[in-house]
Amino acid sequence: MTQSTATLAAASPYSARALVARILRVREVVLVLALLLICALVALRAPRFLNATNLDQVILSATLVCIVAVGQALVIIARQIDLSVGAIVAMSAFVSAEWLAANPTGSLLFVFLIGCLIGLAMGAGNALLVAVFKIPAIVATLGTLAIYRGAVLVYAGGRQISATVLPDYYEGIARAYIARVPFLVWLALITTVSVGLLARYSQIGRNIYALGSNPESAHFLGISGGRAVTFVFVLSGFLSGLVGVLWGARFGTVDAVIAPQLNLQSISAVVIGGVSIFGGSGSVYGAAIGAVIFAVLQNGVLLIGINQFWVQAVVGAAILMTVFFYSSVARRAERIQREARRRPEHPQTATKTITKAGFLK
Amino acid sequence: MIALRKIFARWEFFLLAVLVATFLIGGHISQYFLTTSNVTVTLEGIAPIALLALTMTLIVITGEIDISVGSMVGLCASAIAVALEEKASIEVAMPIGIVVGFAAGAFNGLMVSYAMLPSLVVTIGTLALYRGLAQVILEERGISTFPDWYQQIGFGTVPGTPAPWSSLIFLILFAGFAVYLHRTHWGRALYAIGNNREAARFSGIDVKRTVFWLFVASGAMSALAAILLTAYLASARSDTATGLELPVITAVVLGGVNIFGGSGTMISVFMAVLVLAFVQNSLGLAGVTPEEQQIATGAVLVATLVVFSGSGFIMKLRETVAQSRPDAIREQLK
Repeated sequence: MTQSTATLAAASPYSARALVARILRVREVVLVLALLLICALVALRAPRFLNATNLDQVILSATLVCIVAVGQALVIIARQIDLSVGAIVAMSAFVSAEWLAANPTGSLLFVFLIGCLIGLAMGAGNALLVAVFKIPAIVATLGTLAIYRGAVLVYAGGRQISATVLPDYYEGIARAYIARVPFLVWLALITTVSVGLLARYSQIGRNIYALGSNPESAHFLGISGGRAVTFVFVLSGFLSGLVGVLWGARFGTVDAVIAPQLNLQSISAVVIGGVSIFGGSGSVYGAAIGAVIFAVLQNGVLLIGINQFWVQAVVGAAILMTVFFYSSVARRAERIQREARRRPEHPQTATKTITKAGFLK
Repeated sequence: MIALRKIFARWEFFLLAVLVATFLIGGHISQYFLTTSNVTVTLEGIAPIALLALTMTLIVITGEIDISVGSMVGLCASAIAVALEEKASIEVAMPIGIVVGFAAGAFNGLMVSYAMLPSLVVTIGTLALYRGLAQVILEERGISTFPDWYQQIGFGTVPGTPAPWSSLIFLILFAGFAVYLHRTHWGRALYAIGNNREAARFSGIDVKRTVFWLFVASGAMSALAAILLTAYLASARSDTATGLELPVITAVVLGGVNIFGGSGTMISVFMAVLVLAFVQNSLGLAGVTPEEQQIATGAVLVATLVVFSGSGFIMKLRETVAQSRPDAIREQLK
């Protein structure tokens, strides 16, 4: 596929149409277009959507899911899945909020350290089960989901830490603005871009893609599957721990049952963002845009005045539609590729048909 | 293959040992544990999970998964509740619930087998979709106007015995499913599909139709579970059975069914369901809080998986050691 795009680019480097076609084949561009389309539709029905305060709220509600989804994206690209993220967020949020309530003058840096360490430890637990004991990720993290959530429930014992006992500077994290953009948005952006660069350019990142697209070939290439799998679970745990600290800052009240939907939300954002559930393809940028699309959909349903009970149904339908879309595109690309391979004597026509396939596979 | 079969033979034995140990320890913890009324209550409570584990086993053996079962149960329960609200009698409401279950399962099946989408993503989508539809039709209302005989399905016992009606239903279905899976060529086909889909297709198995009907069966079973659950709880709400997929999948995995498909037996899943039910019950009697029970359930799942993968690991190790012995190498060179 890469070679055929190269041929295409060489054949018509200055053609504007070819350029547009190439840009359109990048999944993220299409995702941004879809996002803009949804925004436009919502804004048409409810102009309030474009208010600065509303846009702020939408983007803020996307940030936390976005950071978790970025970790989840790498996990899924490596052909694994992490169902325990919500429980990790809850544990990190509760412990860090409790520490802050006990030490109101404590250092914020230390709180972040606590939260991230908890996340790291729990992520390492997942990694141990999947990478060392070779337990399929879906059942291993199903088990740790129960253990982690149970642990935070037992530890919290029904207690709730509310905004009144938390220091102001903690909640200040969620209200801080840098250059008129909320700090949380900056943080989500930095996380997404740095993990994105890591996945694209570092050795471990490339190994994760190789492992996800074909574990056996990766093994024969000398790629350590265990190391890549450990890395994605530890990173996912770390990012969930980070989000745990931010959770308390954003919502003020922390108890043991927060973030019950986060597993599904993060996986949905990843799926909508075009990451294949079979691993090996997609990007963390897509997952981040997926998280924003979700936030807009939820906000839009409320603003347009559709019965709030529809929110979940709309989200489910959105997941199904995107999966349907991606798989039909992938299948089309595959078919055209197969046809092209059958007619090697006409490489020119083959290249042309590939451009019709839509995305780069 | 022989090694694998050995593990499975041991697996059922292992679960049986865990079950016996649970009974011994449970009886030791509380004198109430071994009373018939306690056993009856435990069986009533596990019935919906046990039913759903039957169809889930078949689906997992073919290498697919259905995460939407909890939402399908919620949707069927809500449909029954709405029908009752509209002054329909329960005799009309129950078939409506079952039709909804069939439809929900058929939609999953269509998306998975004919639209060729991955079942994990499809059922994550319908998990949200069906729960959302349940919320749309029932909103925040709760219905508890069930006639007495309906509640008997959940609470009542078969006359003259301490066995609840739901256990009898489960046993009949279990026998049917076990015969289907282990004694018919359709059942063998499921293993073939789970082991190698392409090979199964080339050997004349209609993979698409088989998988489609498995998902329909899962939907229909969800409707039945919804009836048992609403009868047992004596209420139906849109959030009925939220998160039910977790114990169901736990039971199937604990039952030694390979999550990637291709192997597993009905009897092991049956025992895993009993282990889950009685471990939780005895923990409850020992004064362990539901939260701690959740940890215990997760720990049981993880521990069994570690033992499971560990036993395979030890065998592999033994094989490697045996092969690397000088006499064995010399044998091979001849």
